[in-house]
Amino acid sequence: MNHPIRITVNGQVHDAEVAPRLTLADFLREELDLTATHLGCEHGVCGACTVVIDGTSARACLTLAVQADGAEVRTLEGVTRPNGELHPIQQAFWERHGMQCGFCTSGIVMTLTELLDEHQEPTREQVMEALGGNLCRCTGYVKILEAVDEAVSLLAAERVA
Amino acid sequence: MADGNGTTKVGAFGTRVKRVEDPRLLRGDGRYIADLKLHGMVHAAVIRSPHAHARIVSIDKSEALADPRTIAVFTAADLPEMPPLTCIDAEETTLPFNQQVMASDKVRFVGEPVAVIVAEDRYVAEDIMGLVDVEYEPLPAVVDPEEAMKDGAPLVHHDTNVVDTLEYELGDPKDAMANAPHTLSERLVTQRYAAMPMETRGCIADWDERWETLTLHSSTQVPNGVKANLQTFLGLGENSVRVIVPDIGGAFGVKIQIYPEEVFISFLARELRRPVKWIEDRWEHFVGSCHGREQIHDVTVGFDDDGRILSLRDDCITNTGAYLQSLTLVEPFIGVAMLAGMYQIENFEATSTVVVTNKTPMNPFRGVGHVQAAFTMERIIDLIAQERGLDPAEVRMVNLIQPDQFPLAKGIGNVLAGEIIYDTGDYPRVLKRALELAGYDEFRAKQEGLRAEGRHVGIGIGAFVEETGLGPYESATVRVEPSGGIAVYTGSCPSGQGHHTVFAQIAADELGVDISDVKVIHGDTDLVRSGVGTYASRSAAVGGGAVRNAAGGVRKKILAVTERLVEAAASRHELADGRVQVKGSPSRSVALGDVALAVSPGRALPDGIEAYGLEHTDIFHPESNTFSSGVHIATVEVDVETGLVNILQYVACDDSGRIINPLLFEGQTHGGVTLGIGGALLEEVVYDDEGQPRNPNFMDYLIPGIGNMPEKFITDHVQSPTYLNKDGIKGGGEGGAVGAPAAIANAVADALRPARVTATPLTPERVFRLAQAAGLVGDQTP
Repeated sequence: MNHPIRITVNGQVHDAEVAPRLTLADFLREELDLTATHLGCEHGVCGACTVVIDGTSARACLTLAVQADGAEVRTLEGVTRPNGELHPIQQAFWERHGMQCGFCTSGIVMTLTELLDEHQEPTREQVMEALGGNLCRCTGYVKILEAVDEAVSLLAAERVA
Repeated sequence: MADGNGTTKVGAFGTRVKRVEDPRLLRGDGRYIADLKLHGMVHAAVIRSPHAHARIVSIDKSEALADPRTIAVFTAADLPEMPPLTCIDAEETTLPFNQQVMASDKVRFVGEPVAVIVAEDRYVAEDIMGLVDVEYEPLPAVVDPEEAMKDGAPLVHHDTNVVDTLEYELGDPKDAMANAPHTLSERLVTQRYAAMPMETRGCIADWDERWETLTLHSSTQVPNGVKANLQTFLGLGENSVRVIVPDIGGAFGVKIQIYPEEVFISFLARELRRPVKWIEDRWEHFVGSCHGREQIHDVTVGFDDDGRILSLRDDCITNTGAYLQSLTLVEPFIGVAMLAGMYQIENFEATSTVVVTNKTPMNPFRGVGHVQAAFTMERIIDLIAQERGLDPAEVRMVNLIQPDQFPLAKGIGNVLAGEIIYDTGDYPRVLKRALELAGYDEFRAKQEGLRAEGRHVGIGIGAFVEETGLGPYESATVRVEPSGGIAVYTGSCPSGQGHHTVFAQIAADELGVDISDVKVIHGDTDLVRSGVGTYASRSAAVGGGAVRNAAGGVRKKILAVTERLVEAAASRHELADGRVQVKGSPSRSVALGDVALAVSPGRALPDGIEAYGLEHTDIFHPESNTFSSGVHIATVEVDVETGLVNILQYVACDDSGRIINPLLFEGQTHGGVTLGIGGALLEEVVYDDEGQPRNPNFMDYLIPGIGNMPEKFITDHVQSPTYLNKDGIKGGGEGGAVGAPAAIANAVADALRPARVTATPLTPERVFRLAQAAGLVGDQTP
């Protein structure tokens, strides 16, 4: 039996009737066509499906859509500026070659939106801790860390401006 | 490249230009296979063997078919007769060890496809899986290759599990060994691990009844190869199959061949007249996509007082798993044929035995064969040093091939690749540079002091030569549009590396335009009729070579047409800023788009110009393969109480010839090394004695996370251009994966002296036991 839910995704309210077993990831991808949230393992380890639910990063593959009833969900599509410009975190990944295939990148950017919302100048330990839940098979993380530093600077510059 | 105004262009060849691919992917606008939806599409789920070895007694589909949600259930009995999947270079005399598209009478590994369910969504398709009753008669399984070689072992296919034994001999190995002042022997084992991209495999097949045409969207590295195979399996003509490759979320070799799912999903789409989508889940990826690496080397080496190698013998066994896949034989060949790496070894003999067992099949992934060759040889060099009381760096130095010896025919051939001829290189320089960057001498000077403080620190070298830039060919078409835009079509389609950027850099360099004027088109067999794909670090060297040649062909025609448009001899023209101008008088110039317009269909062609369009296609067949090299040096500290290895510093100095884009090259090195760190310390696909995989998930199979990074990571390169393509490019995608296990294992061995480090991965448990055996911890500590 389907359940009615109301979820706000990237500022837009969605009312839907969903099966109780439908994951939030599949709801976003299949029902809303928001395919930036990628599924790498579907058992909560790789972090590619990371989204931000009510300000806290979460695995969309381990969250049921019904659990997100009433929640505000942010995905990578909602990070890009409304005019299509890249958010400073996205820009930093471009500048520093912090990505290759791009599959894990959405989850990493989402993890960082949470971290950098909470800490304007995170310590290296905080960054390592936050990104400890995101696997990347392409980059070796070196340029991801450079991109985080770049993002911190770009965000600081934006606050000044 | 400096243009006419003496300024450097954005995206010039050799510069650190950021990738043109990224903004789209960063916005979430990538389109990976799982993101695609076709009208009327249905979803497939695959029933796979839960047994490593069993006879299929019966398959009862009745309950599944009675469920109104079921669209189709297909087993081998429902498929037409199809040939098995092929294996390249399997000897004609070798018995067939090939996999059928779907198992019919027998299953030979956990994960082998047995049936496929189609339903309106994947959730339902998985519900239906439970309604199919497959009755198996389990058979004894064999998982260890040496057990599989024994009389009385369970037989996987035929009356022997040995596929073949390859033999090599160079010089006079027996005599040289007998006369060597010193010899030592060791068994070195590389474990089974896997490419493990973050995106699994997947495909969507779409049959168009009106045109009797199949379109397969697939996350493959080899679209044209998949197309050719589908023609065979489905009995379709050249023009009735189209393969389209969406964005790929990493591949590293595991997407290098056609897989059974691509065949039967295509067949289902044709039968059902509806698009069928199948996306592999992570468990399926662990059991149903190829692994690599599992190889044993039994080595004896003869050497003189200085550690100079006089003779080398290797008996190698590769456990290929249940079936030969398209390129399975590459691993056993390269593992032995590339063993000598950077060293001059004139007397060499080897056997390489290929054995089947009841595990998932193996096929190449990042660093195939070279990883085991480097790990084996580099451990041997360190053992020689230990035996003679010499420094490992010195032993390497005395054995190196010298720069004046190139090109160097090695007298050995390789699967797919022909004779091994080292093209160019400067190994002493690469080694010296790496030692310098690692602060090797300084580390040695303080190491004993640190050890005296109870710190188990060590330094290890991993030197290697890697066959890259593999042929046989790659295609490129370059076209100048009347708008002034440049289109580049390549058969070498990417899986995340940055092909758009580097191919645009090459074309822009040849045609004097900005990379933003270049659009790179790939991954559609209707647009690129002839192409090979991306593997064996071939795209930049071979795909790039084709782009250079094709752009050069267009350039010639541009100059010929311009000669007639601007009154000056072609030799006086140069291409810059998207224009052709007379050297020294930029005012006398014409835009590339106008040159294209002048030869557009519908116009009168200028005198002497015979064909419309500014376009050139090149099929580039390099005469041989390029040989990249590298020296990697790891500095580690081992916690002997926990067995944890901390990489304090990692130095990678690679020589991949001329580099198109150092930024992307660094990214390749970092990524490759990190995969190698996984192989050195963490990753192993573990099976129990019954052939059940014990860790087919990311909780139990650990790939490196950000916490596994070296504390300090230094990359550098030497550039020895090859003569095999115009730009002097060699492959640079895999060296990291090759160098890291050797360097890290040697560093751990150095830290735990006198422990015997003979196998990877060096997991905490294995390291703890090594430390214990060496008397560094536990009961045996004084």
